[in-house]
Amino acid sequence: MTDNVQGNGAEVFSDATQVAGTGEVMIELTAVDKFFGDFQALANINMRVGKQEVVVVIGPSGSGKSTMIRCINRLEEHDAGRIVVDGTELSDDIRNIQEVRRETGMVFQQFNLFPHLTVMDNITLGPRQVRNLPKKEAEDLAMDLLTKVKIPEQARKFPGQLSGGQQQRVAIARSLAMNPKVMLFDEPTSALDPEMIKEVLDTMKELAESGMTMIVVTHEMGFAREVADRVVFMADGEIVEVGTPQHFFESPTEDRTKLFLSQIL
Amino acid sequence: MTQTTIEPPPEVDPNESVVWYRNVRVLRVVGQVVAVATVVGLIAWLFNNLLTNLDRQNINTDFGFLDRPTNFEISFDQGFDPRSPVWQMVLVGLKNTFLAGIVGIVIASIVGLIVGISRLSSNWLVARAATLYVETFRNIPPLVIIIFFGFAIFTFGPFPLLSEATQINFLGTDDNLLILSNTIWGIPGFVAEDNVGVFWITFGVAVLAAIGVAIWRTQLSDRTGVHHHRVRWALGTFLVIAIIGHFLAGGAWSMSWPVVSENGRRIDGGFIMNFGFIATALALGLYTASHIAEIIRGSILAVPKGQSEAANAIALTGFQRYRYIILPQALRIALPPTINQYLNLVKNTSLGIAVSYAEITLLTKTSIGNGRPAPQSIAILMGVYLVFSLVISLLLNAYNRRIQLVER
Amino acid sequence: MTDPQFPMTQTELGAEEPIAIPVAESGPRQKLPPGKWLRRNLFNNWYNSLLTIVIGALLLFVAVRAFSFVFITGRWEPVRANLTLFQIGTFPRDEEWRVVAQVLIWTAALGLGVGAAVAGAKFRALQAGVEYVTDPALDRLKRYWALVLLLLVWLFFADTIGPLLLTVASLALAWGGYAAASRVSGPNVGLLWSVVGVLGVLGFQIVSGFFGLGWLWMGLPIAVAVYALLGRPDTDDVKRQRRIQLIGVLVTFAVLFGVYTAVDSVGVEWDDWEGLQLNLLAAAIAIALSFPLGLLLALARRSSFPALRVMATTYIEIIRGVPLISLLLMAQFFIGFFLNTDTPLSLFTRAIAAMTLFTAAYVAEIVRGGLQAVPKGQMEAGNSIGLPAWKVTQLIVLPQALRAVIPAMVGQFISLFKDTSLLLIIGKLELLGVREIVHGQPDFRGFGIAESLVYVAFVFWAISFTMSRESQRLERKLGVGER
Repeated sequence: MTDNVQGNGAEVFSDATQVAGTGEVMIELTAVDKFFGDFQALANINMRVGKQEVVVVIGPSGSGKSTMIRCINRLEEHDAGRIVVDGTELSDDIRNIQEVRRETGMVFQQFNLFPHLTVMDNITLGPRQVRNLPKKEAEDLAMDLLTKVKIPEQARKFPGQLSGGQQQRVAIARSLAMNPKVMLFDEPTSALDPEMIKEVLDTMKELAESGMTMIVVTHEMGFAREVADRVVFMADGEIVEVGTPQHFFESPTEDRTKLFLSQIL
Repeated sequence: MTQTTIEPPPEVDPNESVVWYRNVRVLRVVGQVVAVATVVGLIAWLFNNLLTNLDRQNINTDFGFLDRPTNFEISFDQGFDPRSPVWQMVLVGLKNTFLAGIVGIVIASIVGLIVGISRLSSNWLVARAATLYVETFRNIPPLVIIIFFGFAIFTFGPFPLLSEATQINFLGTDDNLLILSNTIWGIPGFVAEDNVGVFWITFGVAVLAAIGVAIWRTQLSDRTGVHHHRVRWALGTFLVIAIIGHFLAGGAWSMSWPVVSENGRRIDGGFIMNFGFIATALALGLYTASHIAEIIRGSILAVPKGQSEAANAIALTGFQRYRYIILPQALRIALPPTINQYLNLVKNTSLGIAVSYAEITLLTKTSIGNGRPAPQSIAILMGVYLVFSLVISLLLNAYNRRIQLVER
Repeated sequence: MTDPQFPMTQTELGAEEPIAIPVAESGPRQKLPPGKWLRRNLFNNWYNSLLTIVIGALLLFVAVRAFSFVFITGRWEPVRANLTLFQIGTFPRDEEWRVVAQVLIWTAALGLGVGAAVAGAKFRALQAGVEYVTDPALDRLKRYWALVLLLLVWLFFADTIGPLLLTVASLALAWGGYAAASRVSGPNVGLLWSVVGVLGVLGFQIVSGFFGLGWLWMGLPIAVAVYALLGRPDTDDVKRQRRIQLIGVLVTFAVLFGVYTAVDSVGVEWDDWEGLQLNLLAAAIAIALSFPLGLLLALARRSSFPALRVMATTYIEIIRGVPLISLLLMAQFFIGFFLNTDTPLSLFTRAIAAMTLFTAAYVAEIVRGGLQAVPKGQMEAGNSIGLPAWKVTQLIVLPQALRAVIPAMVGQFISLFKDTSLLLIIGKLELLGVREIVHGQPDFRGFGIAESLVYVAFVFWAISFTMSRESQRLERKLGVGER
């Protein structure tokens, strides 16, 4: 399978199936295909993400970045290939699907906070319903997380009363409340006003420093340069190029990567 | 930071080892099979009960009764022979249902449009009057309105008995333009003469010619840029040929004036409307108008404010703004819900049963009372309404799809 | 196809949808001097002046005619002499105390219910740090002017002191209930709703009797309360906690079953419930029963299982394609044949069955509109925190969808209330049917026809109008259809 991926393995991290971090594999995608009708959204995706590794996925819109991370927690079902998260294979087994969803947190572009629940209830919903945590314990956990994302004073408000940046930080806290092993970020700052992007990126940076395994789909190149262990460039449903941020921003090898970078930088 | 290359996992199908009761694919199929089986089983059980019970009561379950005589008279319908088969009775009911429906729709559309626009009038009094109308009619059950018209205005109302009916003459002649009584009204009508067959042939020719002219005008317009006026042209062509056809056949139609019969019990000639028909059509028309008015009002408000501003910017007058900019857009928004209201109106004609209007529901009920089997009779009744509703819904869906395509 | 009857299907209830927090409604209104006001609103150009004069004359004429009809020429004796008949039909007269008790219990429940809603809104506003604004009392009274007018008409027609006493007592109870309930602190509002539920069932059973399956209905609100009371937020073992709660619920039902079996007192037969009482009751029962059915149909129609979608759609389209009368005729003639019962069902039960089957299809379409308004991202967010599909539906989708459909459901209830007049056609003595009995009396044969019809129309109108105003107010409050 490894030989399907371009690059010869001599360059550092040029192969998406190599991992950084502690060396243990957390997420493993092997020859994954995904179709929407006749349209092939993902073509032969091979990738591994190591424990505590931060992978940033970039690429033009429609390149399959979001589809890929949505396949990892089964919001989309892949059509071929294998996806294994922390040793649990995403098969048709409903128990495995729930297991993987419990272990991966996801942060969406549109926040997707539950508007009918307070911030506190948004965060405690998962722990109480899925992990059967007692109410008191769940609320203590939620307050800890809210303190971590620096908005403990908003606990009793409703999402509609918060700014976009605050909402996204609540969404991060909500995901963390499930104590996930992996965090997936689907363009977390794309729907934010410019002045709020920083507060969300700072929260993500702290999360990365704490050793969380993360896959981040984003257009924030500064974040990629600073935080990522590896950068994956996707186009037309394929992984085109993989490398360290340094390799990626200073000496990209593929033409499509160069073109993309020239357009956005 | 370390780097490791890890061997690919062995090639096995991960789904082979999944136990069936945890397999989402299996669960999907099982779930649907169970649901379908439950529903089918329930329906089978219900129908089995029905058949057993009908059998126990010695009620037939076939549709043979449709060919047997109706055995009762239809009030205000002298043309109907009680010996004619039940299916003919169904047709009479259907005709009356649609007659009341169509007249009701015309009334509802006109009144609804006027009231709906008036609701947004800048004139305080007009807007208030329209609101009063809407809030009054919308909150009273249509059945109460029908009965009010049927009994408070007609049967026990201010109109005279038929034997002393008010007769309004046509411009000094002895011909009655209108006969008003508390049970039936008469207006002039047309009667087909023997040679009407020739007329129908020319009528067909007229329709074809009108279509031809419309196509020709459209093409001409596309070619030369002249305004096509195709509706005017087609209508003109149609009228000219149809009128020529009428005279060519030597007068295929003749005017028939209504006259109160000598015993004062009927109206002879003309077009006769009984109080049930008038009450049903008028009450439903006025009731539905209150709903249509709200739809029109909502649709006008739904036209973006920028449209009005743009119209003002090109210096259209208030009337022109409405006629050319606001109404065309609003009516397009209003059409689907309005047609839903039309459908409701046609279904509501079944309330004519309360004022003895011989539409299909009343006739079905009477027929059941005369010993026809209820399940089949009601099945036919429902089928008729259902076919009509489904056809209209399909047309409406097609229209909506087209509109949505245009908008994208 | 977007269904324009349901405005919320076209509304995006985005993630930023704020929670309903009541605010004062009346905006700033500018006051003009009368002369200027007239010129601006009535006589601003020639055709408006003409319209004003024509419409004004017409309205004046109608007003004069209406006034003379109501106060001078109208012969209201048939209504005045039969007020009780219009209210409860031929309900057994020696059981009338049951109706009185019912009215008192239900008005108290209504007061408590409104109070509970206010207490809940206050609590949410407090939590969110927003100021809770109540409308002035006068505004609130104005909102119900039609009902007040109806009450006054009834009191005017009544020739004994009884109705006045009943009115005063029930108003006092309603006000007391409201005043007490609206002061309840936030976390206890849930229990308050249980009390409202118990009173609702009690008011029903005080007439129908305490027997048969009555324990089940009475058990529902009590069980909800027991479940909530047994819950401890600081428990160590959630699973054990849930077991205790479940046992509490089972014990509740068992106790009630025992009590109902021991009491076993049958009240008044359902077929004896007549007059306005029947209209209100039939509409309330049918909407309550059709709600779960409609909810299931809506979920089935939105399901990812094609078989469920097809079945639900077929049912909904068939029912929506036929008039209610055809179903009521079915109820009259043979709906009982579908069941394998030895004792024939009462006409009331059969009519309720028909109305429930009919309304369920419309409720399903309303709920479907609400479901469509919940963005897909909400379900994805629920999935991503590991909730199983049914919990996503129960905890995330339904609460949002159902809140959005409250106004449309009130609208459906109004429409159903108006449709209860159709019970006349299958021979039930509802309000309109009572009218025919009245004119069958020798004293009132062919006399006062218009008057009795106007009375009936007014009763329907006052109730429907008030409810439709309330639903519009709710719609504005919930912000549905505005964005």
